[in-house]
Amino acid sequence: MQPVFSPSFRAGAREGFLAFLPLSVGLIPWALVTGMSMVSVGFTPLQAMGMNVIVFAGTAQLGTLPLIAIGAPVWLIVATALALNLRFVIFSAAIAQGFRGMGTGARWLCGHLLTDGVFATCIEKMMRNEDRQWRLGYYLAPSVWTWLLWQCFALTGVLAAGSIPKNWSLEFMATIALMLLLLPMAKMRPMLVAALTGGATAVALQGMPLRLGLIVAIFAGIAAGFAAEHWHGKRDSGRAAT
Amino acid sequence: MTEANVGFGDASLWLTFLLIGLATTLPRASFIVLGNRVVLPAVVQRALRYAPAAALAAIVVPDIVLVSGTFAPLNPKLAAAAATVAAALLSRNPWFPFIAGMGMLLALRMALGW
Repeated sequence: MQPVFSPSFRAGAREGFLAFLPLSVGLIPWALVTGMSMVSVGFTPLQAMGMNVIVFAGTAQLGTLPLIAIGAPVWLIVATALALNLRFVIFSAAIAQGFRGMGTGARWLCGHLLTDGVFATCIEKMMRNEDRQWRLGYYLAPSVWTWLLWQCFALTGVLAAGSIPKNWSLEFMATIALMLLLLPMAKMRPMLVAALTGGATAVALQGMPLRLGLIVAIFAGIAAGFAAEHWHGKRDSGRAAT
Repeated sequence: MTEANVGFGDASLWLTFLLIGLATTLPRASFIVLGNRVVLPAVVQRALRYAPAAALAAIVVPDIVLVSGTFAPLNPKLAAAAATVAAALLSRNPWFPFIAGMGMLLALRMALGW
């Protein structure tokens, strides 16, 4: 009888898993915090784990929680999630070539499981290796590991949150988590301009109905970042043409 | 924040999860599924890079500088945010910013009654 996975799939899986393992520890606090945050806005454990399985994305989950908590319109919540996820369009375009020769089903599965950490770990070898089975293993092993860690530790957070007193303001954990996601981005000048503009616009327009100010703020931030990049590029002209 | 109910009924909450899930899986799968059939213009790619930073700031900043809808730069949440950022810049421990931020918030709220 043939084994389910070919030897080269298993070799790729082993290598991908070992390459990703040290990085994956960083997922644990995020999953715990996401679990606690979902409970802090009033989700039942079932709802929280439902969101965790369906969405499977820390940034989109943490970012939409404050909007869900205040009962914002659904289209606004979805638009915000889209904005938070736009980076995946770029990751997806960058790593697409790594899935050459694979069927549509495998591509959907791999696409669904695409995360920042796996992208960063896999992109280089996915481009270079010619063995399709090896590449699939190399990508899927860290992806499935990420999925398992995410679900297990979010569940731990969900269960732990129930035993923490209400007046501990656990919902602020989500705000801290979002700030920590923003911080490394803000080290790049145009990114900082985008963030400052987005933040200031959101504050200025917070009185707008349906929290429309949020969407305006996101567009203003994108425009400001883009403008800052152009201005920056022109100033030290020549090498910054990327 | 009051507990339970979330401002959504159970059914519409699950529908919202499904839609957020779509808004996550479609961007992730986009080019992996499409393959080489579509290429994103470089200008669009560059503009898209700024969306997450703009969106994160647009969510976080109002939360830490507004107190029930009015601008209040001196409030426990902003102090806690400053502690979080300082902790993140000073330490590589992934837990430390959470401990510093929550510690600051709880200390100001409980001990000082702010």
